[in-house]
Amino acid sequence: MTATTGTAVRQRPPRATGAVPLTQARLLRIELRRNAMPLILPLIAALFWFDSYRPSTATPPLYVVRTFWNMGQGHTIVDFGPFVAGVAAWMGSRDSRRGMGDLVTATARPRWAAQLATWAATAIWAVAAYLVFVGVMFAVYAHQSVQGQPPWWWVAVGATAVTAFSAAGFAVGACWPSRFAAPVAAFGGFLAMMLSSQTGFTSTSGWALILPTNSNGNFQPDSGMLYPWLPDLPIARIMLLGGLAVAALGLLGLLPGAGGPRLRQAAAVVTLAGVVAAGTAVAFARTARLGPHGIAIPALHDAANDRPISYTPVCGHAAGLPVCLNPAYRSYLPGVTAALAPVAGEVAGLPGAPVRAMQIGAVYDPGEGGAGQAMTMSGDPPVLRMPLGALGLAGAFGWTGGQVADQYRLLFVHAFTGAGNGPGTAAQRAVQAALLQDTGVPIATQPKVLSSVGLPSWARVTGGPQPGPEPATGPVYAAARRFAALPRATQHGWLTAHLGALRSGHISLGQLP
Amino acid sequence: MNVELTELTRKFGRVRAVAGVNLEAGPGVFGLLGPNGAGKTSLLRMMATALPPTSGTMRLLGRDPGAYGPRREIRRRLGYLPQTLGYYPGFTVAEFVEYFALLKDMPPRQVPRAVAAAIEQVGLGDRARAKLRTLSGGMLRRAGIAQAIVNEPELLLLDEPTAGLDPEQRVAFRALLRDFGQRATVIVSTHLVEDVGAACAEVALMDGGRIVFHGTPAELIARGEGSGAAGDAPLERGYSAALAAARSVAAA
Repeated sequence: MTATTGTAVRQRPPRATGAVPLTQARLLRIELRRNAMPLILPLIAALFWFDSYRPSTATPPLYVVRTFWNMGQGHTIVDFGPFVAGVAAWMGSRDSRRGMGDLVTATARPRWAAQLATWAATAIWAVAAYLVFVGVMFAVYAHQSVQGQPPWWWVAVGATAVTAFSAAGFAVGACWPSRFAAPVAAFGGFLAMMLSSQTGFTSTSGWALILPTNSNGNFQPDSGMLYPWLPDLPIARIMLLGGLAVAALGLLGLLPGAGGPRLRQAAAVVTLAGVVAAGTAVAFARTARLGPHGIAIPALHDAANDRPISYTPVCGHAAGLPVCLNPAYRSYLPGVTAALAPVAGEVAGLPGAPVRAMQIGAVYDPGEGGAGQAMTMSGDPPVLRMPLGALGLAGAFGWTGGQVADQYRLLFVHAFTGAGNGPGTAAQRAVQAALLQDTGVPIATQPKVLSSVGLPSWARVTGGPQPGPEPATGPVYAAARRFAALPRATQHGWLTAHLGALRSGHISLGQLP
Repeated sequence: MNVELTELTRKFGRVRAVAGVNLEAGPGVFGLLGPNGAGKTSLLRMMATALPPTSGTMRLLGRDPGAYGPRREIRRRLGYLPQTLGYYPGFTVAEFVEYFALLKDMPPRQVPRAVAAAIEQVGLGDRARAKLRTLSGGMLRRAGIAQAIVNEPELLLLDEPTAGLDPEQRVAFRALLRDFGQRATVIVSTHLVEDVGAACAEVALMDGGRIVFHGTPAELIARGEGSGAAGDAPLERGYSAALAAARSVAAA
């Protein structure tokens, strides 16, 4: 049957193209006002406080140490990511959950554009909260006189990660509009972070360096003080996370009803660009190598970042020995001079004794945070070079000032005997033990000092394998006790005569007095 | 013609919800009557471009909604109130209407005035800042009508628009329909035959996915006269008589 009624179609003027950004801005304003993300922010703030901020306050007041846990190991991302993904999924599934499907489908604006406004509002809230939380944390650090430069590149990685979580979560919600989308996305985000952490902790090279919670060899203790923060790996991670975000958002434009053919073509290009960016980032990570000051990626590396940061050192005296440190370590200067003073006094006047001590940049092993590193002595006149960034600091890992002082004395004496970056000869170890006793570290306690976490691996060789130190027995310690029992003038006389031979390894244990 | 449907069919699996409907409509208020499951909502969803037809052709506002560009133009000129109105509980009435004005691609500078006018037209001016979750069912329905008319549509599709409205609101709403009918094609799907009698110049009766009657309300009333069909009002008797006649023909 046919039904008919009369007449004509009215004409409307075409729409001005300049109105599109304004329309999108107004949609965004409404979405920002009515977004669900602010509701979850108090929970994230509490988590951030307990998981990212509080643990950092127990660490030394250096940005690189304070932020190792929350930025280097990515705990801020772990705190934000799952919740952001969940809320984004909730927002992405909103239209279907609310039975708005027909109503929004029957509107002129491409579905993709409207969804992007909803996502953008969600992401803006999340990223803004991330930046505010981190900003407040850094402001507190600054108030606490935390030294060095903040790791801005790593902050950018975190912000991009939050964006990526919001995009991925939103895509999950839009593609699977169920009330379970939010918890599934949140759990998925949590699982991804856990896998990232587990893989990251055991991977010191290769593609796994791209994982956002992998801090292996890329969060170096001298960063931001002696050398700039290397941006190579952060740039690669931003490429990966940004690429994933773009791909997830592009995917929404490929869904049925997202828009017209041109828009779908654009969405395909956007998706492809995101995938290519993420893939390129992974490829970059595979070419990464550990340089002296962090992970360098040849394709992204700028040699200018290898130049040390110029600074005016702060200096003190250890028993007449000038000791100069980077100003970021100003608060540690009294402790360092106090630790070095007994050794400096003990070796003063001997040939080969250092004329000053200075801080140098550390060269790291590709482990998390780098392994311990020895002090060295070189130059003419000799200078004691201290890679302070790789040594223990009072307050770090629960170390007391006394424990750190013992480590510094051990490393100073070790450098003085010429043992280098190894355990040294038996004679060198015996003289080292004797001098240490003379400087206030009794022989009986030395195996414990040698087994301290944070010392170079050679210390473990002499001190015994973990767990627990061996007793101070055996021929080396017997010789050390004999040498230590000599009058100071006799010791000095022997060292004046034989130090060169001792350092070159030509003195045997039996030749010690 | 604003609406031209030819052999329009929509199947859901094996069920033919709409079975070869032919319909032409220009400006005016057009009533769509029929029992539950007659296919009214499916027909309206297809005309709203929310549901693609299985077969047949459709031209709306002189354009083919099968192609993306024309479909977008149609949607700019379309107002649609679905039978079940979903809503965002946290939005205010004004935000809800503004949101859809923007989604309908209205020129943004015209939006604030259009939103205020639409809200006033449905009598929610004093609740413009109220969140949707705080509104009664009737008020929500009116908010839904406001979003449908905010863009001054040339084709207005209303599925059960008076459900939940009190008598005073229904009277006002019929006046609004008549006003819109002066300049647009308004298609109203309803169970309430008095709405049709009061506001519609033409009426179509659907049953089993087909249009089984098309005419004026007076012609529908005439169908009922002397037929002995059930109903309390003349239009109801006409409705019952037309339906019974169509079913007896189908059975034969």
